[in-house]
Amino acid sequence: MQFKRIFKSVLVAAGLTVFSSFTNSLFVINSNGVKMPYKKYGYSERQAAARLLDRFSFGAKPGQIDEVLKIGIDQWMEEQLDGKLPDADVEQRLSAYQTLALDNETIVNTYMNAGQVVRFAAKHGLIDRDTIKGDNKKEYQENLRQLMLKEGFKPILQLQNELINQKIIRAAYSNNQLHQLLTDFWFNHFNVSITKQQCQQYILTYERDAIRPNVVGNFETILEATAKHPAMLEFLDNANSVSNSNRIVNKRGNAYVDKQMKQRADEMMATNPTGAAMLNKTIQAKKVQGLNENYAREIMELHTMGVDADYTQADVTSVARALTGWSVRPLIKDAPGRNLYERAGKQNLEKRGFVLEGDFLFRADKHDDSAKIILGKSFPENGGYKEGREVIHLLATNPATAQFICKKLATRFVSDTPSVVLVKHMATTFQKTNGNIKEVLIAMVNDPLFWNQKISSQKIKSPFELVISTVRATNADIQQPLQLYNWCNRMGQKIYFYQAPTGFPDRASYWINTGALLNRMNFGLAFAAQKIPGINFDLLALNNNHEPESPDQALIVYSNILLPERDQAANIQRLSAMVRDNTVVDKINQAAEKNSPPPANDMMGEEMMNNSVKSNKEKASKGKAVLGKKNKPITMQYLAGNNTMVSQVAGIIIGSPEFQRK
Amino acid sequence: MTNRRAFMKSGAMALFATGIAGGIPSFIAKAANSVKSNYLFKKNKTLVCIFQRGAMDGLMAVSPYTDPNLKIMRPTLYMSPAQTEGKQFDLDGRFGLHPSFESLYPYFGENRMAIVHGVGSPNTTRSHFDAQDYMESGTPFSKGTPSGWLNRAVGLMGHDATPFRAVSLTSAMPRSLYGDNEAVAINNLQDFAIQMRGNPMAANMAAGSFEELYDQTSNNILNKAGKESFDALKMLNVNNIKNYQPLTGVVYPNSPLGNSLKQIAVLIKMNIGVEVAFAESGGWDTHFNQGAANGTFARNARDFSDSIAAFWKDLAAYQDDVTIMTMTEFGRTAAQNGTGGTDHGRASCLFVLGNDVKGGKIYQNIGSLAKDSLEDGRDLPVSTDFRAVFSSVANGHLQINNNAVLFPKWEGNGVGVMR
Repeated sequence: MQFKRIFKSVLVAAGLTVFSSFTNSLFVINSNGVKMPYKKYGYSERQAAARLLDRFSFGAKPGQIDEVLKIGIDQWMEEQLDGKLPDADVEQRLSAYQTLALDNETIVNTYMNAGQVVRFAAKHGLIDRDTIKGDNKKEYQENLRQLMLKEGFKPILQLQNELINQKIIRAAYSNNQLHQLLTDFWFNHFNVSITKQQCQQYILTYERDAIRPNVVGNFETILEATAKHPAMLEFLDNANSVSNSNRIVNKRGNAYVDKQMKQRADEMMATNPTGAAMLNKTIQAKKVQGLNENYAREIMELHTMGVDADYTQADVTSVARALTGWSVRPLIKDAPGRNLYERAGKQNLEKRGFVLEGDFLFRADKHDDSAKIILGKSFPENGGYKEGREVIHLLATNPATAQFICKKLATRFVSDTPSVVLVKHMATTFQKTNGNIKEVLIAMVNDPLFWNQKISSQKIKSPFELVISTVRATNADIQQPLQLYNWCNRMGQKIYFYQAPTGFPDRASYWINTGALLNRMNFGLAFAAQKIPGINFDLLALNNNHEPESPDQALIVYSNILLPERDQAANIQRLSAMVRDNTVVDKINQAAEKNSPPPANDMMGEEMMNNSVKSNKEKASKGKAVLGKKNKPITMQYLAGNNTMVSQVAGIIIGSPEFQRK
Repeated sequence: MTNRRAFMKSGAMALFATGIAGGIPSFIAKAANSVKSNYLFKKNKTLVCIFQRGAMDGLMAVSPYTDPNLKIMRPTLYMSPAQTEGKQFDLDGRFGLHPSFESLYPYFGENRMAIVHGVGSPNTTRSHFDAQDYMESGTPFSKGTPSGWLNRAVGLMGHDATPFRAVSLTSAMPRSLYGDNEAVAINNLQDFAIQMRGNPMAANMAAGSFEELYDQTSNNILNKAGKESFDALKMLNVNNIKNYQPLTGVVYPNSPLGNSLKQIAVLIKMNIGVEVAFAESGGWDTHFNQGAANGTFARNARDFSDSIAAFWKDLAAYQDDVTIMTMTEFGRTAAQNGTGGTDHGRASCLFVLGNDVKGGKIYQNIGSLAKDSLEDGRDLPVSTDFRAVFSSVANGHLQINNNAVLFPKWEGNGVGVMR
């Protein structure tokens, strides 16, 4: 354990890429490599590079198309698939973070969840649960904070914030863009959510250990890694899905454990009544434990074969039975079960058919060891831990899985409605290569159907993609990543909080609706005007410090900077018309009049209730007088005076339809 | 679309816009005075739908407590009106209402709230995602249906409408409102503006540019959402919303559902043409430690009940125009599972509240819970097709009578819950 921890922190210090390259090398398969047929389909090399940056990165940085061309676009794609480029900038930005290298055990014993906090407070006599309510709340919280600090505990919010921040930092600055994208994709595919208290402490290690190292490996590897990670085991309840239908249960072993627990509870009664009550509750809980189908259903419906595949409710129940006993090692230091496991010793446990792998624990005493039939395949009795692995293998290699996963990848990288033929080609590769994700992606980009002109630019950026692509396009420096997280949230994507196991839907119609769209426009304006705290950039520097001479010129210059290689003549033309339109002045005045906020107390007071329409009209005209510009021509420059004109233009480009596409 | 455009340009609209533009909280003033203004546009009544995501345990919400099987199958979850068994509200000597629905219970007594039990889909899927999809599209055997049933409902009203005809107080557009008819989805009405701190003029100018750009984009989804956004924007002055005060004595729970319903109340009182409103309530997927009189289910039920009750009281003079219907994708296993919860099942129950509801009654066709009467030996069977309830409520309250469009390929009869 100690070694593992050191190993991990060394890895983090060395940049995390070491680990993924190590695992990748295990899956080397003779491939013909990336050879993209873009020329045949009417793309210049430059356009092809832009397309790749749109789809396989979080957006092009200024000048990045030239960089890709210098490397060669096939070679660039290979590098991205490998994900081994050094990432000094990311490391430097994450160097002050305290949680990223921690293991689960340290996390659950340092960053307590709400339930642990209440127990902690009760244990230290801080509550009396009743006093949490009402007047004492503030005092209670302050006392609690002090005590937690003294005892070495830290707020769980820090853990969550660092998790969110690291995702934003990596997405914005990592040179291994495709690996960041794929980490996002697979996390969403195997979604877990902070909203569920039982799994929230494990999400950081879930992404780091189960997802990130496996994003271009074999599908079965990532499937099993998620199946065995505490986050998934808790999120979909498998950690609590148990059976007493097995040989061990009535033998000495289990009865002995129960008896010991009871004895321990009785002993504790005098010295630690809270602990004793907890233990008794555990004993009680053990008696009503049983099968829970939640994970079994979702592993088939969402993770592998897909809901339309050919399986039955009986299959779901049998898979659930095969996975009984797949659980989490007791990690909390004073958890009653933990001492028992430690006392029993790893060797003893293994003798009894238990398996301990990191924090994954297979509990032979809670596994249903009767015979099962799953998808027509017979599993003889007493299959133990191996049975579950065989089920995972069966699901990972089912032809429906190849189809389902490839369609999802094509939906992510090509189009909301990907070509059936393209998916079929990818699925063939999936099956030929034992589900090798890298090879599947190579098959995708080498396929003529990927380069179909009609489908380019039809994917809509998710809010997260919009935010990160904006940061990249403007070379912005992020000092407060959470500010960007808040914007994602307002636009409809609260990352790490999506409650359903489906993950966020990957289609334009989900992201684009009235409210979300207005917030996308507002984001563009706020961002370009540097109104988002902790996000800094220099728009003029992007244009070599040349200030455009007119709004027209600014439009052309910044459209090309922010949306390189897009066909935007029409876009520019439309906006230019707006800028030159003399009636714009009236439009502004009308709009300003309508929407200017009334004075602070002008809203809901009693007096307002009785105000007549007339008096309010007067107020409105007063507002106009304050503006006082009704008869003067207002142009963008007039509004601007300085760089406001440039930022206004940039804001409109970022909020424009074209920038929402990728 | 043409019709609506015509409306937007009409004199009525102009008058109406002045009302808002002046910055007068006149709508709110009126609401507070409980005086309804004359509509400046045609509008049917308002149907408010609340989707309980995760599948509510109908057998705990409204328990057939006299059935001896229930007690056997639910050793720790069983409840009844008995003092020692959770003190449910006894509805009719056979069914008990969970005590956390305390704030809704009076409406049952006043015959304004009906309960329909044994409701579900003929499709036996026990997948949340699929079951929600089927219920919201209104086509339980066809996944490909592009539109949602509520979107089709507004399309059937046969008159011009404002952009706020169909609103969802959710950050994403719910499946129920997918479709060709305009619909607005927004989590927080205060976000409903093009805003720029400290520079409202620049914001207004940008708004003009954006409107133009989205009007002309070739991407259909962006084009449609853009049009809807700007139409809606013109009608809604966010300044009025910030300061909204519910009626004296009404307190909305500070929860997602409470906040959604509060904002729906604002929109209804503003008289801006809301005919269908949608909100969500989460946390009903109680696989684990569901609890009985206290615990997860009880907490959710209390929030749900208190939010709806606050909304109903807040509506005051508008109550006659509003019907609230709840829905959930399926019910849960009749027996409790091994982790103190219940797994995905089949039928659940729903509530309909309104002054034109034939309330005070449980509409049901539920038989014995003996194992061989259960679906697959484990679940309360579906005895009422959800479309039978949805169509009755839509027909009765919104005056639309075209079930062939509302629920294609369905030929069943409605349940007479409406007067």
